[in-house]
Amino acid sequence: MDLNGDDLSGDGLSGDDPVVAVGGCTQFTPPAGVRQVRAPAGIVAYEPAEMTVRVRAGTVVAELAEALAAHGQMAALDPAVPDAATVGGVLAAGESGLRRLRYGPVRDTLLEARFVSAEGRMVKAGGPVVKNVSGFDLCRLLVGSRGTLGVLAEVVVRLQPRPAVSRWLMGAADPFAVRRRLYRPSSVLWDGEITWVLLEGHPSDVSAEASALGRGFVDAVGPPPRPPHRWSMRPSALPALAASASAGLDGAFVAEVGVGTVHRDRPQPVRPVDPLHERVRALFDPGRRFAAA
Amino acid sequence: MDERLAADLVAVLDKRRVRVESLELALYARDASVIEGRAGVVVFPNSTDEVQAVVRVARAHGVPIVPRGSGTGLAGGSVPLDGAVVIVTTHMDRILEIDEEERVAWVQPGVLNLDLSRAVAHLGLHFAPDPSSQQSCTIGGNVANNSGGPHCLAYGVTSAHVLAVEVVLPDGSLTMLGGLDPDPPGYDLRGAFVGSEGTMGIATRIAVRLTPLPPAVRTMLADFPTVEGAAAAVSGIIAAGILPAALEMMDAEITRAVEAYVHAGFPTDAAAVLLVEVDGLPDGVDAATVQIDEVCRDHGARHVRVAADLAERALLWKGRKSAFGAIARIAPNYYLHDAVVPRTRLVEVLTKVYEIAERHSLVMMNVFHAGDGNLHPLIVFDRRVEGVMERVHAAGTEIIEACVAAGGVLSGEHGIGLEKRDFMHLIFSPDDLDAQARLREAFDPNGTCNPQKVLPAGARCGDLQRIPEGAWI
Amino acid sequence: MTFRLELDDDELSSCVSCGLCLPHCPTYRTTGDESASPRGRIAAMRAVQWAGAPADDSFTAFMERCVQCRACETACPSSVPFGRLMEGARAALLHPWWKRLAYRVVGSHRLLVLLSTVAALLQRAGVRLPGLPRLPLRQAPLHASGTDVYLFTGCVMDAWSRSTHAAVQRVLEAAGAGVALPGRGADCCGALSVHAGLSDHARQLAARTMRAFPGDAPILVDAAGCGAALKDYGHLLGTAEAEAFSARVLDVSEWLAARMDRLPAVEPSARFGPSVAVQDPCHLRHVQRAHEHVRTVLRPFADVIELDDEGMCCGAGGAYSVQQPELSTAIRDRKLSAVARSGAKVVASANPGCAFHLAGAGLDVRHPLEIVDEVLRGR
Repeated sequence: MDLNGDDLSGDGLSGDDPVVAVGGCTQFTPPAGVRQVRAPAGIVAYEPAEMTVRVRAGTVVAELAEALAAHGQMAALDPAVPDAATVGGVLAAGESGLRRLRYGPVRDTLLEARFVSAEGRMVKAGGPVVKNVSGFDLCRLLVGSRGTLGVLAEVVVRLQPRPAVSRWLMGAADPFAVRRRLYRPSSVLWDGEITWVLLEGHPSDVSAEASALGRGFVDAVGPPPRPPHRWSMRPSALPALAASASAGLDGAFVAEVGVGTVHRDRPQPVRPVDPLHERVRALFDPGRRFAAA
Repeated sequence: MDERLAADLVAVLDKRRVRVESLELALYARDASVIEGRAGVVVFPNSTDEVQAVVRVARAHGVPIVPRGSGTGLAGGSVPLDGAVVIVTTHMDRILEIDEEERVAWVQPGVLNLDLSRAVAHLGLHFAPDPSSQQSCTIGGNVANNSGGPHCLAYGVTSAHVLAVEVVLPDGSLTMLGGLDPDPPGYDLRGAFVGSEGTMGIATRIAVRLTPLPPAVRTMLADFPTVEGAAAAVSGIIAAGILPAALEMMDAEITRAVEAYVHAGFPTDAAAVLLVEVDGLPDGVDAATVQIDEVCRDHGARHVRVAADLAERALLWKGRKSAFGAIARIAPNYYLHDAVVPRTRLVEVLTKVYEIAERHSLVMMNVFHAGDGNLHPLIVFDRRVEGVMERVHAAGTEIIEACVAAGGVLSGEHGIGLEKRDFMHLIFSPDDLDAQARLREAFDPNGTCNPQKVLPAGARCGDLQRIPEGAWI
Repeated sequence: MTFRLELDDDELSSCVSCGLCLPHCPTYRTTGDESASPRGRIAAMRAVQWAGAPADDSFTAFMERCVQCRACETACPSSVPFGRLMEGARAALLHPWWKRLAYRVVGSHRLLVLLSTVAALLQRAGVRLPGLPRLPLRQAPLHASGTDVYLFTGCVMDAWSRSTHAAVQRVLEAAGAGVALPGRGADCCGALSVHAGLSDHARQLAARTMRAFPGDAPILVDAAGCGAALKDYGHLLGTAEAEAFSARVLDVSEWLAARMDRLPAVEPSARFGPSVAVQDPCHLRHVQRAHEHVRTVLRPFADVIELDDEGMCCGAGGAYSVQQPELSTAIRDRKLSAVARSGAKVVASANPGCAFHLAGAGLDVRHPLEIVDEVLRGR
């Protein structure tokens, strides 16, 4: 069942049966037998001079990106499958793309969210402007909450100017030295042997930075393919990981240098959390309507 | 004052760090806002353990706690009500660890914002949030208020620079929110804590991100014959696809006051000036400088001056950051607003704001983060003039209403505190406020941590918060 | 024990409590106490003057903890006249007899020299006298060499460190100036009395001092605290004559900086050996705002290193180091760390109080012109 697309009344969630919010289902498989709810789609308001966009959460990321690109702008939402992933889905999953080193985590992108609470009420968090400390920061709480606190219906996200030039390079080099040498690269990836670098910005700056990388680097068509599972590790733990991988103790990986996201061939073990997290969930969804996604 | 409470606090700290004498308590009754409360006891813990001990003692006595750093807040966030225990963090002022490779520093909450940037400058790094009070304000205070500053336009506000926070929760227990890895498990409680204005616990250790200093910086001062021209240039710059590092506006009166202090060559005959900074790699900076110059001139700028060197740049920024403090040159009191409006509506809202001040016969000036649409309408007055406070509050309410009507919000960086608490209903429905109250309840079910701040009374059903009496002066 | 506070209401209301002064205040930096900050002290003054709070012992303690460095004035965007407010507040405090007596001694040069000699003898006999530097037993007298400029000799400096005056005189003479010495009566500028709030006494000393400098030659001062006080006579006495007198007063570096071409040039090999950290006396930096001249004067003769503490007070504060030894030492510790970080072996200070205070912690402290003198003499 869909949320009511026009007035965003939240009526779609009246009742008290379990529901699961779904977007493009590119990042999880919804549990069987639970009623699925989808957010409406479409751009509600886009004024380029504002560098923000108000969009229904069910909008496919690629469609949004196309509309923004027409005005030389972009949102820092970089899902693996932009043709299927929805804006709401990316925010609810909270998983950043490869350019996090430069553009920051997904949570810094969301300015306002309208979500449907477990009680079926439409609730607004944050505001439509780029800077806002009016009240508690529910937006950051919602990003990455995987639909357990509410169902995202409509959001306002922060936009960025599109860089004039984007250029991937690759070479065999110490990725940490590479990162130190460059001023704010968009991405530095490393599989233990090869380093990939994404440079973005003014054309001549990008050329200069590319030359600074040295002759060992050549242009690449794009980032390398990544193993399917994301691990969240301290950036300083990467050398040890590489060492154990090269010793054959660990499988293949592609690490986001300076960020700590590591793409690996097996899932990260579940990490414990403080009971405080459960208290938050219980207060937002006392009846456990929202299935954990 | 409760003597048993004081005695129990002395037992966990020592006599010198528990203050109960009435004149000294009076000094902690307010922050940099105009709101005054009443402190019951003021304590100075030195460590996380001591903060925990103090919180537990206060809890056992049923007395609320209020964290306080340098007391430079502008919304009454650290104003104690009803004889609360004020926990001052100024003794917890050590930089604990600097990790150059990972670009992270662990600090105690009482470290001053600028001190951290100074301490890492030799590594080519800095702490990006730069509120105007950065020389005085603490990083703990920045975390509590999710502080901004001119350069947050490009670099993001405090929340974007805080990775982890060790927090003493209102029940005295200790927890770590966030982490040094990119996606700590669970909810982003770190993000929820940042900007919670001391209502969810007390930060005792903070891991902040350090940002490389840009290789090239250009600071421009554009002067305009009309406020409208300057405001339109702001929208023009953003519309041209440029995101400057900072984009600040000062109107005529404030420019004159500031120039009298810094002598930086601010044009005292301009109706408004824009202070624009671009940074990054050199060619991009040059290109943006040319573009900004053009946009400013297209909108009627008389001159666009580029700072010749670091000293000139520093002087221009010193002028901008001294603006509020320089107000006493005009009148002894000020009431500062902090609304944010969509940047395309700056011209319209500014016009309205000046008109409101004029209607109330008040002196109004504006100095603000124009690039964010973050207005700081500033009413200056002399409290000793009969009836002036009524006019100040009436005009203030109208200004907030005008900003909200334009699609704006109540505060961009100063926080809600006590000052804007009762305006929250202007932008949030009862359901919206209820959701925020739930978050707070998860952290502080008994409501003992900086109570009565941020959320208006009755934000949760059955909520029996009462309005603090005599909080306004 | 209470008293009335009668500060200027406009001056008292000119602070907007923004807190920009806080990090520049040495006692706030050291204690983290609002009561030890300029903003807090003003709030306390307001509480007493406006809100009927008792002017009790804690009020007195808050006021007495101020070093009166006036760094807050430099930091204040609204230019709150904190020094005047503090002097006004101190004037209202009740002063114990022993303090009044001490200021009388300083005001009488013969008595001061006599007591200093006694103290010097006691020191030679192995008696520890806390708060005092090692005092000289005998000092060679100074002799006038002309009438181009006056050298102000003052009280403590002349009694304890006349050799500095001699060095300054030699440098002035090297710049071609004949140096005149004050007539009788210039025993003390009155700065200590002003800071203590003993303004009547200060006015007596000021009137006496002015009579000791007839004519219109510039009055050069090699003690920053005295210079600041002499420059403020116009305000202290409120007469046209005092204004005219104050206009003649210059710090000796301020005068020399405009005449550097008159000093002989030195070969690189003849420059001062160790690098020199400049310590800015508060009354040179924040009150006279003449601290840059010290660098202008020193640079041709020595490698100058800047400290990274933005000219934070050293904690000497005239009589402060004796009256608030604990805080004074804590503030000095910050300065010592800054000097240590700089790597400098010698510290240049243009104020005797600072010099004695820092030397007391084992630093090699010289007046900037002593360094210039040493280079010129060794040429």
